[in-house]
Amino acid sequence: MRVARLVWVGLVFRVKELTRSGLFVFTSVIEPLIFATLTYYLFSAGSRPETVIYSALGAGMMGIWTSTLFASGGAISWQRWQGTLELLVAAPPAFLLVIFPLTLGSATIGLYSLTATLAWERVVFGLPFDPVHPFQFVLAVPTMIFGLGALGLVIATSFVLYRNANALSNMLEFPVWLATGVIVPLSLLPGWTSVIGWMLAPTWGFEAMRRSVFGGDVWAPMGMCLALSAVYFGIAWYLMGIFERRARERATLSLA
Amino acid sequence: MTWLRIFGVGGYLSYRALFNWQSPTYYIPTMLAHPVFQILFFAYLGRFSGTESDAFFVVGNGIQVCAMAGVYGMALTVGGERWTHTLGSLLATPANRSALFLGRALPNVVNGVLVSVFGLGVGRLLLDFHPAPGSVPSIFLLVVVCTLSCSAFGLAVGALGLRFRDVFMIANPAYFLMLLLCGVNVPLDRLPNWMSTIGSGLPLTHGIAAAREVADGASLGSVSTLVWKEIAVGACWTVVAYVLLRVFEAEGRRRATLETM
Amino acid sequence: MTPVVEVRDLRRTYRTSTGIVKRRSIEIEAVRGVSFEIAEGELFGLLGPNGAGKTTTIKMLITLLIPTSGTAHVLGLDVVKDAHEVRKRIGYVFGGDRGLYERLSAYDNLRYFAELYGVPPRNQRRRIEELLDLVGLEGREKERVEGYSRGMRQRLHIARGLLHDPPVVFLDEPTIGVDPVGARDLRATIASLTESGKTVLLTTHYMFEADSLCNRIAVINKGVIVAEGTPSDLKSIVADKTVVEIETFGIAPETIERLRQAPGVTSISVEEREQAQVLHVQSAKGLELTQELLGMLNGTAVGRVAAREPTLEDAYVALVDAA
Repeated sequence: MRVARLVWVGLVFRVKELTRSGLFVFTSVIEPLIFATLTYYLFSAGSRPETVIYSALGAGMMGIWTSTLFASGGAISWQRWQGTLELLVAAPPAFLLVIFPLTLGSATIGLYSLTATLAWERVVFGLPFDPVHPFQFVLAVPTMIFGLGALGLVIATSFVLYRNANALSNMLEFPVWLATGVIVPLSLLPGWTSVIGWMLAPTWGFEAMRRSVFGGDVWAPMGMCLALSAVYFGIAWYLMGIFERRARERATLSLA
Repeated sequence: MTWLRIFGVGGYLSYRALFNWQSPTYYIPTMLAHPVFQILFFAYLGRFSGTESDAFFVVGNGIQVCAMAGVYGMALTVGGERWTHTLGSLLATPANRSALFLGRALPNVVNGVLVSVFGLGVGRLLLDFHPAPGSVPSIFLLVVVCTLSCSAFGLAVGALGLRFRDVFMIANPAYFLMLLLCGVNVPLDRLPNWMSTIGSGLPLTHGIAAAREVADGASLGSVSTLVWKEIAVGACWTVVAYVLLRVFEAEGRRRATLETM
Repeated sequence: MTPVVEVRDLRRTYRTSTGIVKRRSIEIEAVRGVSFEIAEGELFGLLGPNGAGKTTTIKMLITLLIPTSGTAHVLGLDVVKDAHEVRKRIGYVFGGDRGLYERLSAYDNLRYFAELYGVPPRNQRRRIEELLDLVGLEGREKERVEGYSRGMRQRLHIARGLLHDPPVVFLDEPTIGVDPVGARDLRATIASLTESGKTVLLTTHYMFEADSLCNRIAVINKGVIVAEGTPSDLKSIVADKTVVEIETFGIAPETIERLRQAPGVTSISVEEREQAQVLHVQSAKGLELTQELLGMLNGTAVGRVAAREPTLEDAYVALVDAA
């Protein structure tokens, strides 16, 4: 119970902190709107009209990954700068409990993107938003966010291990969009990319969202999303354990 | 003579001082891998939408990614003076302002051409993009022209970054707006009029259109109107950027914002 | 002889806005009518507390700020109208950690500014090496500035300001934050500048620095010059005074106030020294106030008590307090 409270408090704090950053809110709203506009004109010119609404939802969900990616790495850089990173690394459970709310909060900020995009598409382009399973949609949203937060956690953990991991974060925006099939169905990509996609929790989260809007069994993908998130926790825990051992052996915490 | 030296040597040194992604650890993911993924993403998006061919998206995005240097690079090497707090020292010198700031564009242009060429090359390998035989030199020329005009636009963005606090707050939307408005992914005639008008005033729009035709087999001569338009756009943005820089400098001296900027 | 630097009634107002919903405009007059002259070869000091207007004044002289009113001329050139010509002839050194390109080496930083100042290419290398030698950075010039200590950065700033051998050099608090040994070396370098015929304007809030280095000093407080003259001239302001230093421990502010009001006391400044607060009590010479003061301190722990001659610092305190 204490754990849940810790996570909740951390999450709320992170959301407030990010909301106050003008730059962050700006980019997490403006960019998705530009993408939504782009996809609308692209798809409405295309030969398949049913893809317009499909892509509209996809555009909304794209922004959540952007927020997660950049704010998760930023959280680690911030901790490092604060000098609190070493303290946290010494205790893997503590580390995960502090970092997970940060990545989860970063994903939650993505809700601004989703809402803004859906509203934009409704108001400007007249695209209807009518979930087939509204109740499950409401459940699918936090599940998707959870999955993204979990992926953010694995990424944040590797940021601790590798000082220059933020070089990689610069390039992960597009690949994850492709691999998770957020807007382009995995069936269109070469077969081997689908395998990668199925291992990513957000892929299932996005699928759950889509099915709740367009119809289909929502529970299976939601379950997969949550199951994979649990696996990610384990991976993060394991990675932190390695690092702690390495740091103690070599007495080098190349954290600062 | 001094003008040239400030432009050349000075520009090179500022680039080394301010461009964040010089080491391979940063350069490869940011300037090479990221653009390639962008090209792949939009190509597949295009396939899904059932609109244009792979070639359309490869040429469009392959050229647009020069903005990684043309916009982001310029944002760093001009707007970055703010973070290093060196703007005051710079402006206290008698150095000619045009040499000072234009010089920073040159390394970014070289970088941008490299990025685009790499992107187009990878697009050729991985996607259904087969430029007409003999069109490669013309395409290269167009890449250079586009990168020049994009860097002029980036100079204006960098100038705004000198005046306002967060240069990336301007650079990011600028980069993404180019994806929408410059005919990179959506043909201009599919956009509402006002959007395509704005797009015509932005760099890359005309150059990309020309490059598409050339890749299809057209000669450089037949697209000369588009090429001249692209050059004209670049020239206008150079003027805009220069004016902005002078205005901000004068304003900074009047309102005492040079250091706190 | 025309003065090298001529300042007439210089004023500078800042307008700042506060508040997000209801924006209020506040006008702050940072420099309120400053006039002075510096002759060729002089080392002129502008002395004052933080916020007095020193940096604002210097920025107007180096053309980075436009005065709200008044005029300033450097080498006969107007700092506003002939800014470009002025920039060619002045060097500008400021204190602080920033203002250098961290990623570049000291050598490259100097190379860059050498270009900007138009140092002829064939002279650059020699000049840079000379200056590195002068400021004591030779051997470290290939290292990146990001690894430099504060003192080293300061020295690099000075080297940069001298690249084009300007006849006039402006130094804004050049020794601030530098360790005592490093600061002493820096001061020796500054003193040597006038020996080579340069005219120097130095701002500082270190009294002893102004005393030891400057030919003439202007004391500036709250945007106006409250006194001007040689260090001896200024000390004579308090020549008729005597100072009693009383070391106290944990003195209450009300007690200090009472002492201030005591008859005969001109001014009191408080110096924090570890656990103690040392009161520098100024009064006219001849008045034997020590016993009275100690009487008023009944209850407060008192350490050393000593009488001494007034220094430039006391002159400064007297001037600043009076303003």
